[in-house]
Amino acid sequence: MIRFATGRLLGGAITIFSVYTLTFLMVIAIPGNPFQQSQHSLPAEVEQALRARYNMDNNWLYFWDFLGDAVTLDFGPSFTYNDWTCNQIIADALPVSMLIGFLAIILAVLIGVPIGVYGAVKRGSWVDSASLGVILLGISIPPFVTGSILLLLFGVTMKVLPIGGWGTVAHLPLPALTLSLPFAAYIARLMRVGMLDDLQNDFIRTAIAKGVSSHLVIWKHAFKVAFLPVLSFLGPACAQAMTGSFVVEKVFGVPGLGQHFVNAALNRDAGLVLSTVLAFSTLLVLFNIAIDLLYTKLDPRISGAAG
Amino acid sequence: MTRKCSAEPSHAVHSNWRRFRRNRMALLSLAGFVFFMLGAIFSLPTSARWYNVQATDIAVRSQPSLDPVVPLERFFDTSGANAIPSRLDQILYRMTSLFGHDDLGRSLTYRVLPGFLVSLCIGLGAALMATIVGTLWGSIAALAGGRIDAVMMRIVDVLFGLPYILMVILLKVGLTEPLTAIFGGQTKYADLIVLFVAIGGVSWLTLSRVVRGQVLSLREQPFIEAARATGAGHWHILRKHVFPNVVGPIAVYATLVIPQAIMQESFLSFLGIGVQQPIPSLGRLAADGVEAVNAFVGYWWLIVFPCTILVFTLLALNFIGDGLRDAVDPKSNAPTLV
Amino acid sequence: MARNVAITCFLLLGATVALFRLGTGETRADFTYVNPSGIHTLDPARMSWTQDLRVALNLWEGLTSSDPKTTEPMAGAALFPPDISNDGRTYTFSIREDSIWSNSDPVTAVDFIRGWRRGMEPGTATDYQFMFTDHIVGAQEYVQWRHNGVTLLTILSHLKNGEDIDEKQATDLGKLPEFHRLAKLWMPEGAAGSIENNDVPNPAELIQKIRKAKVDWEQVHQSFFQRHVEQLDARFSEVGFEAIDHNTLRVTLTQPCPYFLDLTAFPTWLPCHKSIERLREQYAKSPLTEQGLVVFDPQWTKPGYHRNDYPGLITNGAYSLIEWKFKQRARLRVNPYYRAASEIPCKTIDMLVIDNISASIMAYEAGYVDFLPSLAVPYDHEIARLAATGLRNDFKSCHTLATYFLQFNCASERILGKPNPFLDRRVRKAFAMAVNKQAIVENVLQRGDRIAHSFVPAGLIKGYESPAGLRFDPIRARTLLAEAGYADARDLGVVEMLYVPSDDKIIQAIAHMWEKNLGVQVNLRCEESKSFAEDKANHRFMIARANWYADYYDPTTFLDCLVTGNGNNDAGYHNLTYDLRVAEAALAKEQVERMALLSQAESILVEEDLPIIPILHYAELIAIKPYIDGLQPNPRLRFSFQYVSVQK
Repeated sequence: MIRFATGRLLGGAITIFSVYTLTFLMVIAIPGNPFQQSQHSLPAEVEQALRARYNMDNNWLYFWDFLGDAVTLDFGPSFTYNDWTCNQIIADALPVSMLIGFLAIILAVLIGVPIGVYGAVKRGSWVDSASLGVILLGISIPPFVTGSILLLLFGVTMKVLPIGGWGTVAHLPLPALTLSLPFAAYIARLMRVGMLDDLQNDFIRTAIAKGVSSHLVIWKHAFKVAFLPVLSFLGPACAQAMTGSFVVEKVFGVPGLGQHFVNAALNRDAGLVLSTVLAFSTLLVLFNIAIDLLYTKLDPRISGAAG
Repeated sequence: MTRKCSAEPSHAVHSNWRRFRRNRMALLSLAGFVFFMLGAIFSLPTSARWYNVQATDIAVRSQPSLDPVVPLERFFDTSGANAIPSRLDQILYRMTSLFGHDDLGRSLTYRVLPGFLVSLCIGLGAALMATIVGTLWGSIAALAGGRIDAVMMRIVDVLFGLPYILMVILLKVGLTEPLTAIFGGQTKYADLIVLFVAIGGVSWLTLSRVVRGQVLSLREQPFIEAARATGAGHWHILRKHVFPNVVGPIAVYATLVIPQAIMQESFLSFLGIGVQQPIPSLGRLAADGVEAVNAFVGYWWLIVFPCTILVFTLLALNFIGDGLRDAVDPKSNAPTLV
Repeated sequence: MARNVAITCFLLLGATVALFRLGTGETRADFTYVNPSGIHTLDPARMSWTQDLRVALNLWEGLTSSDPKTTEPMAGAALFPPDISNDGRTYTFSIREDSIWSNSDPVTAVDFIRGWRRGMEPGTATDYQFMFTDHIVGAQEYVQWRHNGVTLLTILSHLKNGEDIDEKQATDLGKLPEFHRLAKLWMPEGAAGSIENNDVPNPAELIQKIRKAKVDWEQVHQSFFQRHVEQLDARFSEVGFEAIDHNTLRVTLTQPCPYFLDLTAFPTWLPCHKSIERLREQYAKSPLTEQGLVVFDPQWTKPGYHRNDYPGLITNGAYSLIEWKFKQRARLRVNPYYRAASEIPCKTIDMLVIDNISASIMAYEAGYVDFLPSLAVPYDHEIARLAATGLRNDFKSCHTLATYFLQFNCASERILGKPNPFLDRRVRKAFAMAVNKQAIVENVLQRGDRIAHSFVPAGLIKGYESPAGLRFDPIRARTLLAEAGYADARDLGVVEMLYVPSDDKIIQAIAHMWEKNLGVQVNLRCEESKSFAEDKANHRFMIARANWYADYYDPTTFLDCLVTGNGNNDAGYHNLTYDLRVAEAALAKEQVERMALLSQAESILVEEDLPIIPILHYAELIAIKPYIDGLQPNPRLRFSFQYVSVQK
């Protein structure tokens, strides 16, 4: 197990380095000037001074400088938000995103798993169809629509939840719920199909024939195997949810990391792009390793070969 | 324990259809879907002319109504060949105000109908791409195992970690010009290809992880080992033993990729990637319609019609998918647990 | 198993919520407003966004300030009006005795010069540097000299670290006045003369020569660095800024500037407290960095920043910053040393960041916010309607000093592989006359914008008469097109329009008008803003959307943009007569004559040549709660919170 984990960590480091390198190449190749702020075109002299200031007049120097600093967790300044360093921006935004994302994933599991299981057990009944309908509403109505409706309903009409600002528990439920809906849909569907496959398996049928209570069969035996596809979905899903969602953050005004992925790229803010990408890929690698470890634990049929 | 060990014999098509027919939801969905699809396709020659007929002076955000708000002659170029409306056009004209009008006074009916087809193509295309690439990638990685598996999965991780926006902007910058040259100066087709690459390029990533996980647990199964022992080739094992057993999660995933691709298209259109304005798509109609959700006034038709069609399309596709899956699944006659 | 999953989930859920600070939020400020998309920077020298300028003008006070109603210049940190010499070139300001920094230091003439000098430094990269270089004696020369110094020292610092230079740097190096002095290092004595004829050396050759040269770059850098540092103050003293004494400041202009006192109210001209010196790189060691830059720790704008005994941000305006959370909020509190601080009704101001303007309107409706300076939402026509019909008195519309327009590519011979039809002004004119602006403003947008027939917003600048411009006339437009040789508009081929996503509606409407009125085929190309800016600046477009916001109260803020060679002339427009009129106006003695010349120049733009099609002058919608007093809608959307009072 330890050998497996170290191997994966090493692979993870290579992954992160590749992501960094490719992103860096993209940052250099992409057209667009990070320093132009508003309507005025930037005089060539000013731009050159800025490039010198940010070490961007020499690409390879910048490549290694940034990487070297990043290893010591110093991500340097943001090009767009001059008064802030990328460290400050990420330190402010990442915990917010992780909190919302974490709540969303848990909500998604709590919503998706029971719906999926009961859908499979009562297959073809109206319960199955209705639960499928409800869960699909969550994924087929765009989140900006769901979010706006929730905000209007709870914020303006009922006045039970605040709009704008950040920092109280009351700010959490709406973004977490909106974010969780698509994930819940995936989980419910994957769970349902996994259960269906399993319930038809001989060992389950044998168990039933032997008189084991169906409740026990469903939750103890079938669930364990059926949860596996959900589990491999959860790895990237966690990383994705916990690094924030642009749309959800935009709709609810959540000061999370998701907005920076999009805005930094749109602003060509090289420093912020590179640092958010590093943060994201690190999280992604860690979650995937964690999921793989869980996988080998849950499914005895898989040996340590999971790589 | 045993799993499905062989593909269905070919004479089973008939019994499959019988089984599918028994599933009422699936049948209903199929009927509705086909009906709507035919409607959209048959009205296409007309809506291709009408989707951008603007009437900013009389019909800006006018409500749905049974009577057309915009006079008939606006829809016809009086000097051109279509000077005299055909019978079909006159019938279709009766529906121009059925879904209301948008910000530029255009008939929402004839934006939603072609928009539905455009979005369906995008969704299905992305789903197809995700399924093919994701399934192959995931199962090959799992079956090969060892170093190949590790490298393939790291590639997935790297692609997943790259900043998407940068990637698509670069794609557009890099591909548009050569593609436009190939298509003889037509930017339309180049834009569509860029769109498919941008959506399809990432939609298979999660699926490949899911498939790999499934296949990993299959790999150690007795029946696969048995097949291997009898000297079956990799491709044979994949086709005959692996794919039938992972088809469930794949089908589920593929149907869920569709709405996401449709939504993604509307997001990408904000980066100037995708179908060019004024060609409609459901995702963009919904994105434009979100103005209806505000604290003052409800232009509900702007959001309700695109979203409803989106929801019904997806519901139908999912029910059909379920029905198909059950129909081809040999064990679907198994007793239902309560 | 399932139970375990469920229990784990619930436990984690509870733990997270518990861990999240159950902060009830702080007490609400006296006055709360929303700043969409947040502050980019609070460094007055760097800022250019309206929302940043707004905060800065409440934190700092310039020599003059803006009248809250009319935004005309009025007394600021200096007595008003200043002493102006007869030739209109010398302004002598007396700084008021009661002008005091938020740490009780008096504001001095030197504080202003410090701020301005910073604004001219290459390391600061001021967006509005032209406000110094266009007007102040010696400023252009100083900035150029500094810039050359930085270029040279940057290259030398690369070389001394053993790095190669690239082609671009080699090209820059070859253009520097010091190049010949430097070239002697690797040239034999006799050959040094030969390169002097060859003005710009081949960069590839130069890189090779530098690589081969046996030079101690460390020492070369050192000597050039020393030389530059020694000249630093002497060079700056040639700029027309002079601190006569503690309170007296003299500014010398290159030529009279009727709107100069409007400029001095702009954030670029704000003073800077001496404490910033503590955060200069190389503080107490050397005035410049190795690359020759003057660089400050960008954190100097933070209230709670104390590196190197920095006291935190010190300002001289009505308010001081006490809290700033990135993309969340900023809190301002009355500066106790500000004159009449006790009479300012709102002691604390909260600026919330809500990216989604629709959500900020909901927050306003629900009562969390008192003031919204922008209501740019897709349904703003509804808000405009509520405001216009008087159903909602708290929604107000401001006519701004800004123009939305389309511009033609007047520079490229060929676009998209075909000859550029828009080099012919008859074609441009035809396109302009085929746009029904009234339909756009009144039917499509319904926002209450003003139809634009001229580039400079008509009637908003005192003494300026805008030309009448062209009216919508599709028949004349087709005639013009035929005259230009396009009797069949399809001969034009596909006309491509470049735009940004926010313009969706208006661009589609205009394209439709051209298709209908001229019979041309229009292709729409949408790009996100940075790609758009890049393509626009490099003339990779046929027709592109554009807008321009006035920087100061004078027609030249618009008209200068289309002068040949201006950095903002993206149309690539070139007309000698136009350039001449604008230049003559700058030299005019009388204001009346000047305005007349400018008006003549503009009539070339909007009646004869049409490099641009003015579409509309923006109306900005704002929302002010009825219980708020003292906030005036104004064309520049400048709001001084010191005059605001809450009447609850």
